[in-house]
Amino acid sequence: MKYWVKKELKPPHGKVYIIKDRCKGCGFCIEFCPQGVLQESEEFNAKGYHPPKLVETDDKKCIGCGFCSLICPEFAIHIEKEEEEKDEKAD
Amino acid sequence: MARRIGVFVCHCGVNIAGVVDVERVAEELRKYPGVAFATTYQYMCSDPGQNLIRQKIEEENLDAVIIAACSPAMHEETFRSVCKEFFNPYRCEMANIREQCSWVHDKKEATEKAIKLVKATVEKLRGNEDLMPIFVPIEKKCLVIGGGIAGIQAALDIADAGYKVILVEKEASIGGRMAQLSETFPTLDCSQCILTPKMVAVARHPNIKLMAYSEVIDISGYVGNFDVKILKKPRYVDEDACTVCGDCEKACPVIIPNEFDMEKKPRKAIYIPFPQAVPSTYTIDREACLGLAPLTCAQCKDACEANAINYDMQPKIVEERVGAIIVATGYDLYDKNKLVEYGYGEDDDIITSLEFERMLSASGPTGGEIIKPSTGKVPKKVVFIQCAGSRDKQHMPYCSSICCMYTAKHALLYKHHVPDGEAYIFYIDIRATGKNYEEFIARVMEEERINYIRGKVAKIYREGDKIVVWGVDTLTGKKVEIKADLVVLAMAIVGRKETKEIAKLLKVAVDDGNFLKESHPKLKPVEALSRGIYFAGCAQSPKDIPAAVAQASAAASKVLAIFSKDKLEKDPLVAVVDEDRCSGCGVCVSICPYGAMQRQPNGKAKCIEALCEGCGTCAAACPSNNIEMRNYKDEQIEKMIEVIV
Ligand SMILES: Cc1cc2nc3c(=O)[nH]c(=O)nc-3n(C[C@H](O)[C@H](O)[C@H](O)COP(=O)(O)OP(=O)(O)OC[C@H]3O[C@@H](n4cnc5c(N)ncnc54)[C@H](O)[C@@H]3O)c2cc1C
Ligand code: SF4
Ligand code: SF4
Ligand code: SF4
Ligand code: SF4
Repeated sequence: MKYWVKKELKPPHGKVYIIKDRCKGCGFCIEFCPQGVLQESEEFNAKGYHPPKLVETDDKKCIGCGFCSLICPEFAIHIEKEEEEKDEKAD
Repeated sequence: MARRIGVFVCHCGVNIAGVVDVERVAEELRKYPGVAFATTYQYMCSDPGQNLIRQKIEEENLDAVIIAACSPAMHEETFRSVCKEFFNPYRCEMANIREQCSWVHDKKEATEKAIKLVKATVEKLRGNEDLMPIFVPIEKKCLVIGGGIAGIQAALDIADAGYKVILVEKEASIGGRMAQLSETFPTLDCSQCILTPKMVAVARHPNIKLMAYSEVIDISGYVGNFDVKILKKPRYVDEDACTVCGDCEKACPVIIPNEFDMEKKPRKAIYIPFPQAVPSTYTIDREACLGLAPLTCAQCKDACEANAINYDMQPKIVEERVGAIIVATGYDLYDKNKLVEYGYGEDDDIITSLEFERMLSASGPTGGEIIKPSTGKVPKKVVFIQCAGSRDKQHMPYCSSICCMYTAKHALLYKHHVPDGEAYIFYIDIRATGKNYEEFIARVMEEERINYIRGKVAKIYREGDKIVVWGVDTLTGKKVEIKADLVVLAMAIVGRKETKEIAKLLKVAVDDGNFLKESHPKLKPVEALSRGIYFAGCAQSPKDIPAAVAQASAAASKVLAIFSKDKLEKDPLVAVVDEDRCSGCGVCVSICPYGAMQRQPNGKAKCIEALCEGCGTCAAACPSNNIEMRNYKDEQIEKMIEVIV
């Protein structure tokens, strides 16, 4: 489907940072991410758990809601919101 | 019991007397036991005819009267009110010797049958009881379902007359389709500009309780006393606290199509359908929101300075009692995917008429610019196809009545936007019957130089950048092939599927187009078969705005007529259950088409007299022969049959 608008609305975007060694494998972030951005990885961290990784190779689908970092009991994940700088300046 | 019956045989000009020997009927009846007097007259229903009845009742000391004439549906009321001056009106009966006799039989048979019919009526009359009308109290409050222009107008009219109105609209805002239109034929005033003052008036009116984002889920009861249940869906935004600042919308990460813009413009999960929405507030689309339970996102709540967002809002069921109901649930376009011959659904450059309205609208997705959706460029050749799905046995057989007019408007507005563009209209014939409509069409044809092609389109397909339209011009007999940039389909108008659901709750019929069926197509066009239920706007049939508004005011005046009385008078010819003998089987309860038979706590059936229409279905169905129809008792009917056979 195609919108008839000149300027498409762009969803906000977040960059996901995972501090692997802090993770204790609870999987909360994977469970609660509304966009399904995260999944369990195969690798082991220093504590012997599987830390989360991105489902796709990049975090395109992340909308930066920050829910993962809010829910993570070990502060192992945090988000940096990307500002829509270009659009703002163009206006 | 009647002892001195007078029989008045009507000639009805030649309608009856031309076939039935009326003098013989009178003569035979004079000899019949219980009949004290019999005569004939040219037109019993005329003033002199009525006076003859009055005079003879007095002179002959009559205590009951039979009028042998047309159907009681025509004149029972007339003759009963004459008799009411002297005795109980249920001592007046009519024998139908026109529709059921003179119109359908030959001379000799007709006279014999007429005699029998009148004699049978004498027997029925002898068994009649004197009855008093039933009085029903009225809750002077009206429910209007649907907040399009029709529902808005009806609500305002009733509220202005001083009565309370509950206006229920299922969408986030009232306004209906009219809010989506650009400019309106034939005067080309801006649709929003003439609609929004009325929307605001609804919101401000002290007599109107506006329940938007709500649905009627249950209706029971009868005229004067309907009990309705209304489901108020949670908006998750406090209507009163929201300042419509729009900060939440900016913060919300979810982008989905806006239904109001025919899905051609995006909106967020927290949204306002259009800026002038009434009630003026944002709403969270529960389906699209990232998560209310468990709460995951909450970006909007963080952004809202007014603290208007509340994720814990629950659906609420509100119960109300109303005296009358107006259904104004409007229309939809015919399903575009069903028009395979026009290739819809597959091509960006073949669009529907409502999508074109949004394109023309200054607040629409393109800001009022006309574009070819696949490229975003200005279309230089546009083909409009009328009757897309209408007047077509494979789709909808009827005429959608407004498409000729709005297509002319579309072509004219296109030419105003793109003066060097070419516009073609395929039509079967032009139906422009409204006031100043023909003049509007003439103006479009002549001044705007739009090419009207009489004929049907056979095929539409894409060829590179263009849409090729194949048709036949039936006036010249020549084939036409147009390579167009944009094709606009004037889709058939159909009733909404929601109308069908509401109709089911109200026990009202709908036709194949999902339009509500009126009580009488000519004389009762806004009334349902059941009393107290009225129709307005496109829910009843396709129509333009002036017709929708006129019908809304008509429905309102019917409601006001009910509300002008303190009690409703009703015919007492109802079913009576002998409770002692009732076995509680419940057959009558399930069979009554009006829901009038109800089971009491003791298991026995009871007739709610206010609801009963006296159809007699229950009396026939009761296995213990335990239900009696007032003044249609078994003995009466048996005697009538005896006389006739
Ligand atoms: C392309 C196009 C162009 C047109 N141009 C013109 C024009 O220029 N001039 C003109 O006079 N007419 C025009 N019309 C016709 C015009 O749109 C209608 O006459 C008018 O909108 C009918 O209003 P309504 O209130 O009957 O129905 P609607 O506008 O459909 O309103 C019905 C309302 O009821 C609500 N509803 C439905 N079901 C329920 C339910 N179960 N519970 C609660 N609420 C419910 C709906 O959400 C809606 O708000 C045009 C029509 C089309 C398709
Ligand atoms: S910020 Fe939100 S969308 Fe992005 S990974 Fe975390 S939970 Fe998922
Ligand atoms: S909570 Fe829902 S409506 Fe609010 S910003 Fe998030 S997705 Fe949008
Ligand atoms: S941020 Fe709050 S006040 Fe502003 S529009 Fe959204 S809900 Fe309304
Ligand atoms: S007479 Fe007809 S309307 Fe009355 S209770 Fe019986 S079935 Fe219902």
